Amino acid sequence: MSLTTIDTATSPRRAAGHAYGWRMLGLLSLLLILAWVGLFAWSAIPLSGTQAMQALFSHPTAQVSDVVVRQLRLPRVLVAGLVGACLATAGALMQGLTRNPLASPGVFGVNAGAALGVALVSTYAGWMGVMGQSSAAILGGGVAWTLVMLLGAAWRPGADKGRLVLAGVAVAALCGALTKASIILAEDQAAGVLTWLAGSVANARWTVWYNLWPVATAGLLAALALAPSLNILAVGDEQARNLGMRLGWVRLAVGIVVLVLVSASVVAAGSIAFVGLLVPHMARALFGIDHRKLLPACCLLGAALVMAADILGRAVAFPSETPAGAVLALIGAPWFIYMVRSRT
Amino acid sequence: MSDLTCPSRHRQLTLSPLQQRVWLLAGLLLIAIIANLCLGAVDLTLTQVWQGLSAEGEQYFTVHEYRLPRIALAIGVGAMLATAGVLVQGVIRNPLASPDILGVSQGAGLAAVSLMTLWPHASIQLLPWAALAGGFSAAVLLWLVCGSKAPPIRMALTGVALAALYSSTIDFLLLTRPLDINNALLWLTGSLWGRGWQQLYTLLPWLILLPAALWLSHRLNLMGLGDDSATCLGVRAPRVRLLALALAVGLTSAAVSLCGPISFLGLVSPHLARQLVGGRHQRLLPVAMLVGAVLLLIADLVARIIHPPIELPAGIMTALIGAPYFLWLLLKLR
Repeated sequence: MSLTTIDTATSPRRAAGHAYGWRMLGLLSLLLILAWVGLFAWSAIPLSGTQAMQALFSHPTAQVSDVVVRQLRLPRVLVAGLVGACLATAGALMQGLTRNPLASPGVFGVNAGAALGVALVSTYAGWMGVMGQSSAAILGGGVAWTLVMLLGAAWRPGADKGRLVLAGVAVAALCGALTKASIILAEDQAAGVLTWLAGSVANARWTVWYNLWPVATAGLLAALALAPSLNILAVGDEQARNLGMRLGWVRLAVGIVVLVLVSASVVAAGSIAFVGLLVPHMARALFGIDHRKLLPACCLLGAALVMAADILGRAVAFPSETPAGAVLALIGAPWFIYMVRSRT
Repeated sequence: MSDLTCPSRHRQLTLSPLQQRVWLLAGLLLIAIIANLCLGAVDLTLTQVWQGLSAEGEQYFTVHEYRLPRIALAIGVGAMLATAGVLVQGVIRNPLASPDILGVSQGAGLAAVSLMTLWPHASIQLLPWAALAGGFSAAVLLWLVCGSKAPPIRMALTGVALAALYSSTIDFLLLTRPLDINNALLWLTGSLWGRGWQQLYTLLPWLILLPAALWLSHRLNLMGLGDDSATCLGVRAPRVRLLALALAVGLTSAAVSLCGPISFLGLVSPHLARQLVGGRHQRLLPVAMLVGAVLLLIADLVARIIHPPIELPAGIMTALIGAPYFLWLLLKLR
């Protein structure tokens, strides 16, 4: 990439690079602290911070605290972090791709479509397992997204951003209704449904983590690899074409990466809303618009946000649990209103 | 009913197309009522239903205590939501507007859920009032956030965003302080499940608002010409607008407080009615009420019989009809 050499050659850029490094370091330490707090805070069995550390770094014992931390808390924290990273990165990719500040998996119906796919497979074709769920999620999210793009007339020059969002809301409502209907019809007990629909990492065990991390890591790496192309996309279609980019292929690649990221996280934790909308804007305010710097920052911020939401969700109505997704929706919705007011 | 029909220039036995449509709709309502009485977890014959209407009948409980009040409630709620939709669309002149798109339904629902979770012992009679307060606050908040002159898409967008906030708060309340789960589904999607005579009696006083809406219809017609023309013709536009919106909020809140936010009904029914009989409110309002009642009856019927004894919330069914319709409206609105 020739752009890279231009970037690092000038000294102000280098100073900015230092600031970036420090900020990332700060974010990383925040993330680690949150992860540590998430291991022990608000547990039904009282745990302390030192116990959590011991459980992590000493030989496994049969003590209750060890088992709780290793078998319940650690996978939960890890899944929360990775899901947050996936959703935030997907949001950043979508915003880069559509140049629409309101674009995000939740707003454009990708989450809802993926959730519909997962619900259909797990209720009517349970034998298909996680692979089936993931492919159905990708398919559902893809169909929903395409529908929103077509109905919102997204590729037309001067497309109305608001129309796109409304199309997304309607498609999400449709998918949501179908999801609820299929789940209620398949199971008499609707209580679990509510939690899953809101998006929760409370039931994340090691199996969830083992299913999540290979796909998620691959998706995140692919996203990082696409970062330079996204930077070029940002200058406009015409310019990007002049710079020798094949727009169609790049868009397709970004779209697929988004779908993979979203479906992996929906399969693991249900549809957690607003992370994809909220985090890229926060990251852009902190780290600027260069996608090569923005995407890693989004990963860390998204992870931190979902971890914090999970901790909050346990704290709000202790000892019962509130899904992280419900907490995030409560934080994210006012932000959505603000965005609608200022950016359309 | 004479208002519904064409001004008859020459009385003949043949019905004008307009009359035909209205009679067709009325027939549809009758069929929907009968189907609702007969079908369900237990299928009844017409004679069984007839016998069930009297206290000695074998099926008295099913028919009288269960299906009859539910049908009446569906008709009432459907008519109210449709009327609210007509009123809002009439004075805001925005085809995408309706109480549920603008967040009024969810606001009313949030207030009702808050009342139920925070003061579980409050009487059911208080629910409509709490919902009313919530609905009005939601309307005022929308007005504060986007102003009265906002273009259609922006207004709908702000309403949808506010609705998302309210419904996520409802989610949150339900998840932190669990009600029983059927109540929860009621508040998330809207349902007629387990509603009976008590709820119907709570609703009855609010039905007064329907004739009030009809009384406004002449002024609403003039409002359709634009504020300036309406003022020239002797209508105080701001006052009529405020009155119509207040009526709409009242109707929506009362309906929502009993059946939860039934989505898209208030959006779809006015449009369907307008396609049937045109935009004169004297006709539009009653026909929209009919359409709303028929739609909700059918939605509830399908939700009940699709997989008995499990019931889907009727709100899911209306969303399945309404969301595609909304998308179509969005496509048409260039």
